[in-house]
Amino acid sequence: MKLLHLKEGTIAVISKITGGNGMAARMAGLGLYEGKKVRIIQAAPFRGPLLVEDILTGTRTMIGRGIASHVEIRDEEAR
Amino acid sequence: MKKPGEELVIALAGQPNCGKSTIFNAVAGFKVNTGNFSGTTVSFTETKVLLEGRTIRLIDLPGTYSISTHDIAEKVARDYLLSGTVDVIINVLDSSILARSLELTLQLIEMDVPMVIALNMHDEAVKKGVEIDVDKLVSLTGVEAYPIVAVQGSGVQELFEAALRVAKGNVRHIKPVYDKDVEECIERIAKRYPDALRQTWKIDERFVILRLLEMDEEFEKMAGEADRAFLEYVAENRRFLAEMHGWPEAGVFASHRHAIVLDLFERVAVVRSRSKPSLGERIDRFIINPVGGLATITGLIFAMFYASFSIGDFISGLLEKPLEALGSKVLGLAGGTAGMLLAGFYDGFTAGVGIVLPYLVPLLILLSLLEDTGLLPRIAFMVDGLLHRFGLHGKSVVPIILGYGCNVPAIMAARNLEYERDRMITMLIVPFISCSARTVVIFALAGKYLGAGYTTLIYLGNIAVALAVSFVLSRFHVDVSPGIIMDVPPLRRPYLHIIFKKVWARMLEFLMFAWPVIALSSIVLAVLSQVGIDGIINWVLAPVTSGILDLPKELGITLFFGIFRKELTLIMLNSALNTLDVASVLSPEQILVLVVFTVLYIPCIATVSTLWKEGGWKVALYSMALNTTVAIAVSGVIAYLL
Repeated sequence: MKLLHLKEGTIAVISKITGGNGMAARMAGLGLYEGKKVRIIQAAPFRGPLLVEDILTGTRTMIGRGIASHVEIRDEEAR
Repeated sequence: MKKPGEELVIALAGQPNCGKSTIFNAVAGFKVNTGNFSGTTVSFTETKVLLEGRTIRLIDLPGTYSISTHDIAEKVARDYLLSGTVDVIINVLDSSILARSLELTLQLIEMDVPMVIALNMHDEAVKKGVEIDVDKLVSLTGVEAYPIVAVQGSGVQELFEAALRVAKGNVRHIKPVYDKDVEECIERIAKRYPDALRQTWKIDERFVILRLLEMDEEFEKMAGEADRAFLEYVAENRRFLAEMHGWPEAGVFASHRHAIVLDLFERVAVVRSRSKPSLGERIDRFIINPVGGLATITGLIFAMFYASFSIGDFISGLLEKPLEALGSKVLGLAGGTAGMLLAGFYDGFTAGVGIVLPYLVPLLILLSLLEDTGLLPRIAFMVDGLLHRFGLHGKSVVPIILGYGCNVPAIMAARNLEYERDRMITMLIVPFISCSARTVVIFALAGKYLGAGYTTLIYLGNIAVALAVSFVLSRFHVDVSPGIIMDVPPLRRPYLHIIFKKVWARMLEFLMFAWPVIALSSIVLAVLSQVGIDGIINWVLAPVTSGILDLPKELGITLFFGIFRKELTLIMLNSALNTLDVASVLSPEQILVLVVFTVLYIPCIATVSTLWKEGGWKVALYSMALNTTVAIAVSGVIAYLL
């Protein structure tokens, strides 16, 4: 499943980031890389970005939907 | 190692929004802007400070998430760090998000430059339940660490004392050790490290090898230029590692470092989750929600402009009578040419105090609040989707909103946009945004003579024009940008003393730089009209002023002077029209056309020169042509319709 399709409030683990080294490196800088547990806090209006929380640090990052479609996730657990 | 008499260079380095500039200001006085969003600082600033009898060059760098950079601001930081001029790095960390902050720390440790760690926002970490064992962090990294709270200035003294101490000693950092096969690989590569590279690049060799293994493009370019075969050899080794671990080649090394960072984090910090969400979090939940957020943000922005207009109008009204009384006294002092010069000076001088400052100060206070609370990234979050339809980007929101204060830093802020296309469109849109100078013109003309309804309409129209221009521009730059990735920091309470210093610094800028220009230009105008040159300028501009815009051609000179400072258009209006009541000469329709034209055409010389610096002369000229064309077209249509 893709991060794009993760429901608000649900926690999942990032399993793979496709879409080029640059994108993966940029996300890694913000603490989002393979193995990280994340949660969608909110989707912005007008098909805007997703607000993603890094469960470990509590940092929040907005990620455009196009980019979220390149992030694969696993082990979804509702909270 | 520097001799005792030499200047020591200390650089503040860290991830975006960790408080580098706040520390810088705590030491240097308010010299650089601060705010609660990533990318407040986009270029480096240096200051000299005296510490324990030594002169220190302290450098404030833009934030960078890692040594690999993705935008111009980050590149500035990285280039400075690698230039070999830095004696001590103060690595600033946001303690409340230690696990992420340590990523850069580890890379800096690998650079092998003397360093101290500033565990900033320590109070916030404690509140959040993050307990850091500082001694353990020191013993595991070999780097001295100090918990500080930069906004309150606490711990800063000890931090700098430590930095001085560290500068004298030897570096004893404990560099991270990777898996056995990775270490063997590094060793193999080190044996082949080319002399050419060693001579041209005074950077730690192991650090260079690590960067190459991580496929850092800049390092690969440098190494490739020095020794092609060496670069091939590194790539060979990297492929070998990737195959062995079954990882993708690009990520093989980064994954390794992430694991080391997480391990370090778990050893030095304990996170105890709190049961109750803080006030900030509860407010945030409301703001992040689409309905609550859009309502809050539009409400806030309207309230902001309304407040600065009504406060400004009130103060300006209070000052009117005393200034007039002063005027009649001053102007009676001299006659003839001297009297004329005096009148010119008086006009510019009083306009600064009587018209500009009353509107400027409330606007600056409110914009500072917007910067410091962390609302900017939230506005970006809300409108990113909408802006995409106009070819813009949520990240463009930050420069655009900063543009309401002044276009110059706003254009610089476009450095935070990773893609050239987005940066270019943002740089061309910012000059359409009504900066504080133009806001003063809107308030003093439209607000006074046309009322609140038209003023709001002008603002909304201004945004509409900017979006329309962006829409058209994006058709010419068809390459698609991948989308937004942006940090959303927690909401933070603004500190009064910082807001005060910010507003004071910007006011001082107006008083020291803009105000003299305004007063001087008023004198120049007086001289020009005495010799009759204003007539020539008016005649040249007449096809536009009276031809298209249907304005008195006497306004040509005021619009021309507006290119130096936008306030000048307003200030010179009275003397150009030879009246104290603009409404007696201009019809409401003409006032509207004048305001719209003033808002949209070339912002000012400072903005144009910033565009030149940031994007080259073509962009500067393009922007001037674009603004002029759009201004003539839009206000021409309004003049035609009314």
